[in-house]
Amino acid sequence: MASARIIVKRRKTVRNIRKITRTMQLIATARFQAALARATASKPYTERLARLVSDLSSVTEEVTHPLMRPAADVKKSAMVVITSNRGLCGGYNSNVLRTALSHLKCAEDAGISSDVHMVGKKGCNYFKFLGREFDETLPDITDKPRFDQIEPLANDLMGRFVAGEIASVQVCYMQFLSAGKQSATVAQLLPLQQDAVEGVEETSHNTQYDFSPDPEALLADLLPATVRIRLFQCFTEAIASEQIARMVAMKAATEAAGDMITSLTRQYNRARQTAITMELLDIVGGANALD
Amino acid sequence: MAKTSTFHCSVITPERPVLECEASFVSFPAHDGEMGALVNRGPLVCKLGIGALRVESPEGKHTLFVDGGFAQIADNHLTILTEQAKKKDEIDVAAVNALMGEARSMATATVEAVEAKSDAIKRAAIQIKISKS
Repeated sequence: MASARIIVKRRKTVRNIRKITRTMQLIATARFQAALARATASKPYTERLARLVSDLSSVTEEVTHPLMRPAADVKKSAMVVITSNRGLCGGYNSNVLRTALSHLKCAEDAGISSDVHMVGKKGCNYFKFLGREFDETLPDITDKPRFDQIEPLANDLMGRFVAGEIASVQVCYMQFLSAGKQSATVAQLLPLQQDAVEGVEETSHNTQYDFSPDPEALLADLLPATVRIRLFQCFTEAIASEQIARMVAMKAATEAAGDMITSLTRQYNRARQTAITMELLDIVGGANALD
Repeated sequence: MAKTSTFHCSVITPERPVLECEASFVSFPAHDGEMGALVNRGPLVCKLGIGALRVESPEGKHTLFVDGGFAQIADNHLTILTEQAKKKDEIDVAAVNALMGEARSMATATVEAVEAKSDAIKRAAIQIKISKS
């Protein structure tokens, strides 16, 4: 059995680690709350925009827009993969990357090659390790994504889609379902599905609006805005999920360190007791030898 | 509906709701010129251009810079959905001046480039005007 001194030293190390992981957990909690607030702050815009789109599509007969047209003859698509810049967040990155890879493989089997737009250092490093081709996108994105950072990416993707260079655009990210549940998902950004224009059930459909310019022209501007906000929401949700994953990982680490300290303390006590017993035996043995 | 002299006005961007207040008069930059709205205005959906949004409320006046988006009026609720809205104190004067410089030096080889340049200049000029008001 290890000597008591070595056990004490190890216990001290584990204690220090526990302090660090606990601090990281607290930081992640604070960041998660901020990220969640940001994710919910974009909800009103999304909802109003969706309502506006459905109001408009109810007055136009048939909604046709370049962003909704499926381009079947192009064997190329684009995928935005959102990973984190920092590690120590449990299975967050590996889950997202696994989902992305399996989707890419399915697409490749169907003969569609994909441009990968990788966001986050962790994903970039992994793809470098695999030797796959990718584009490093938005390297300067932080915990607080600004809309004007995401906008150029969305516009670029829409431009390429409308020009017929790519057949579809997917986003692979960690969807934030609730504080207790997040799941890695591949969401289709383009072509826009029909539910984008008729998703909201509204009672205000009978309101007679004045339109300026005409509804078709308005809709042509609204749909790109819908795509932009959808992409932006993917980012805000991914960041909230990342912080919650880090929080959970650090909580587990803190608890594991606590368990380790308990067991080390037990070992130390036993080692100390053994040492005392041995010493006593020595003394008693010595005294008996004198008699 | 009860007789009131104000209507609800909200300005919302993707990042956050910027302004929620009761207003007696709102002037917003429509795509084809400035448009004003008073209480009990008929339902309207309108595309926005670049310009200043002026809100007159019982508590005081607000002036915001708005860059594109949409305005919707229904049942005395005006909703401005825009991708960029800045209050007077959020405008970074130094950055805007730099933008103005950039805008002035933009090339004007094609019709689109001329339009982009005039938009960029307008964007900067309006922000400068709001920050000085």
